[in-house]
This record gives sequence, C-alpha cells and structure tokens, in this order.
Amino acid sequence: MGIDQIHHTQHVFRKILDSMAKPGTISTITVNEESKKRQLSCYDTTLLAALTLLDAEVTFHILPADQIELKEKISQYTLAQHAPIEEADFIIAVKGCAERELVDAMLVCKNGSLIDPNGSATWIIEEEHLSNQGGLTLSGPGIRSEAELHISFTLAMTAARQEKIKEYPTGIDLLFTDEVGQLACLPRTTTVIHAEEVK
Amino acid sequence: MKTNHHFAFFDEGSKKEIRRAILKAVAIPGYQVPFSSREMPIARGWGTGGLQITLSIIGCEDVLKVIDQGSDESVNAVSIKKLVQTTTGVEVTDLTQEATIIQSRHRIPEVPLDSNQILVLQVPAPEPLRDVEAREYMTKILHSEEEYSGAWLQLFEQIMKFGRTTTGADHPVYVNHRYVMAPSPIPRFDNPKMHQSEALILLGAGREKKIYAVPPFTDVRSLAFDDYPFKVESFSGKQCRLCGTSDVFLDEVLAADTGEVSYQCNDTSYCMERLNQAEKAEVENNYA
Repeated sequence: MGIDQIHHTQHVFRKILDSMAKPGTISTITVNEESKKRQLSCYDTTLLAALTLLDAEVTFHILPADQIELKEKISQYTLAQHAPIEEADFIIAVKGCAERELVDAMLVCKNGSLIDPNGSATWIIEEEHLSNQGGLTLSGPGIRSEAELHISFTLAMTAARQEKIKEYPTGIDLLFTDEVGQLACLPRTTTVIHAEEVK
Repeated sequence: MKTNHHFAFFDEGSKKEIRRAILKAVAIPGYQVPFSSREMPIARGWGTGGLQITLSIIGCEDVLKVIDQGSDESVNAVSIKKLVQTTTGVEVTDLTQEATIIQSRHRIPEVPLDSNQILVLQVPAPEPLRDVEAREYMTKILHSEEEYSGAWLQLFEQIMKFGRTTTGADHPVYVNHRYVMAPSPIPRFDNPKMHQSEALILLGAGREKKIYAVPPFTDVRSLAFDDYPFKVESFSGKQCRLCGTSDVFLDEVLAADTGEVSYQCNDTSYCMERLNQAEKAEVENNYA
C-alpha cells in the first residue's frame, strides 16, 4: 500500500490530535506519492485518517450512499465494518456529498448519551480547500480567543451540527480533510458563528 | 536508532483504541473516557495509564521527559523512560523546554509549557466522586446530571472540621464549566497551571481504565467557596537550600541527626538548571 502502518499513522494521529485540541488549527500531513496509484474516490488525507482511526472494533458509513467501491476498499484496508448511519462510529462524507444528504445523516447519526457522551459518531468530511481566512468564527476550549476556519459548510449544515451539540456533553466531532493533505477539526465544544449569520 | 522491539511496545490495534479514546477525551474536556487498559510490564498503579498514553502518541521525532514527583531521576521515572526509549529509540531529556512529551507523576513542571508540548499525567484515582459514591454506574449518572453536591460537601465538611479545605493534593477542579475532575495528585500549587494552559494535558488511569483530557486554553477552576477561596501551598519566607529560589513548590527536608528543617526545589531539573546557570555566570564573571 505504500503506507507505513506504524509511523505514518502515528504522524497522522498526532496531527489530528493537534487539530482536535486546537479547533481551527490546520495541520498538514505527509501524503505518500504512491497513494496516487490507488485511485480511490476519496482524498488521500481521508484515507490516511481512516487508516489511523478505524479497525475491526468500530464501524463506518460512507456518504454519498453510491460509493460502493470505496466502502469495500476502506473495509478491506481497515477491517472495519460498514454500518447504517444510525449505528456508525465514523461517518465519512466524501466530496460531492449533497447538502441534503449530509444534513439528514447528521441529524440521525449517533450522538452519545449524557451518561456515555463518548458513544457518538465522529465525522470525516472532505472539503475543497481548508484555510483560516473567513468563513466560520470559532471559540471555545482549545482556542485562545477566536479562530477562523474557512470551510464550505452551509447554514443548514451548521444548524444541523448545532442541533446535535445543543445538549452538551452529547454531540458529534467533525474532522475536515482536503486534497492537499490538510486537516482541521471541530469538536463538540466549539462554538461556531457562520459568516452569513453575522451579515 | 533501530530497536529490537515493535515500535512503542504496543501492537497497532491497542494504539488505535487508545488514540480513539484520547480524541474523545479531548472533545469532552474533563470527561473520563473508558478504555481497555492493557497489561504493561510495570504494575498497575505505577503509571500504566500515563505510559499507555505516551506509547500511543509518541513518534520518532519526539523528545521525552519523564518525572516522578518532580524528579527526573527517581526509580519510577527512570524505569518508564528506559522502557519507552528502548522500544522507540526516541531522545530523552531532563530539560522541560526541550521535551515534546512530558510524562509526569504528581507534578506539573515549574517551567511554563508551550503549545507544542503534551503533558501526560499518571492518575491513580480518576473519579473525584468515588469517596461519596462507590458504584461506578452511579458516579457516571452523577456526572451526567452535573450533580456535584458530594464533591462540594466533602470540602464543606473539611471546613467544618478544620476551618479550611484540607486537600493535600488532587484538589478537585471544574473543567470547562461542566465536569468536576480529579487533576491527579498534583499539589494545589499546580492546579492553577492547568487553567488556560498552553499545552494539551492528557490524563491516564491504567488500573481504573480511564483516559481524560484538558485541551489548551480551557477553563479549569479549583472547587472553592466564596468565603473560603482556593489557596495554594504557601512557601513565604522559605527558599531552596541549593539554588535559593523561593517562588516554586518546595520539599521540606528534615535532617535525621540534627532535626534541622530545610527546603529544596521539588522540580529537580528546574533546580539543576538554575544551579548550572549560576555556575556559568560565576565562571564568566570571575575568569573572563
């Protein structure tokens, strides 16, 4: 596969951890040249994140639903089982996932319970390009005062996320990946103000 | 450095599970995430939680520092350091500012940590409500309902009996205005260092199978009452007998033969660095 399952996944994990601990921080991971030969319908960053976090003990779901080949490949690479949205531990939304499909899935995915808030789904969402200019204004734990993160999150998506996290500590954690090896996170503790809301 | 062991001792499946627990812990500051604590080559209760976190996050580029009650050279710190170094080949250091991962038992270093560092604390008893409720499921319900009367009552009883709170270490804290958390048995002196810390703090309890975290720039308030505010240990009028500093956590040293009491920095690397700096300055001034 051309990926060092020990050191590469450790490197990716530390970048995810850094971005999760400091929401809005964009981390860059080393994307292996050989990975381009794999011709999967997801970014290498997404595949690396999946290889880092998934194994036979967890389940995943892929959006949009027609990504059958990717579903099989990720299952083969990680040994994780594909599961319905309502049961999946990880939900991977690859580029081209329609807003409606993503919002609907977000509203029904696992949210954890007040007793076990860790039983919620973690999302891996593909973005065109991550940047720190404009877009969402973030505040909360891990952020000194405020941070900016530019993602193509629509108002409906922000509203769906808000619906899921309104009863903190239950809620979902989001990991965004892009084509050039960048990733950023929005844990449930982050307060998000959409640029359009400010207008 | 090439090692004869699998990198970082653990199999990759174990690391993955612990890594997932760490990410959840960071996303829910102060919440104790259960994990399937592994058997380690050291006994449970001797830092296995911290060790499992360290082994799961460490990479070839990291520089590791391990301290036990402020000391880089105590048996426990040296053993853990050796185990991690033997299985990873990473560089180890005594200097706090050089380390990227600092595993510690019962202290937060005196040198302020920065945003590129991760502090891993070993925790013997992660549940701050255990003294008031023995059943794990019940404490989980209490946390879910943010029902912390028991924790407050414990402090209240101490004030009633002794006129002040008497927590020597492990004084409970409120994290991100939601969870009451055991900060591990650090002295009260170190509690304020957790508040809005620049470094990520990960806490691991191996025997109790829990991982929890305090992300950077997170509010961490020590439990206290308006009329009985939280106070750290005071060392006013005392100073380290070796380096002369007075604004750090000091150990009381009792000379067995004379009964004489003196004080010494608890953070040995901080003390050593100050002594070295003083010596260097002295050499430069006297022999230049």
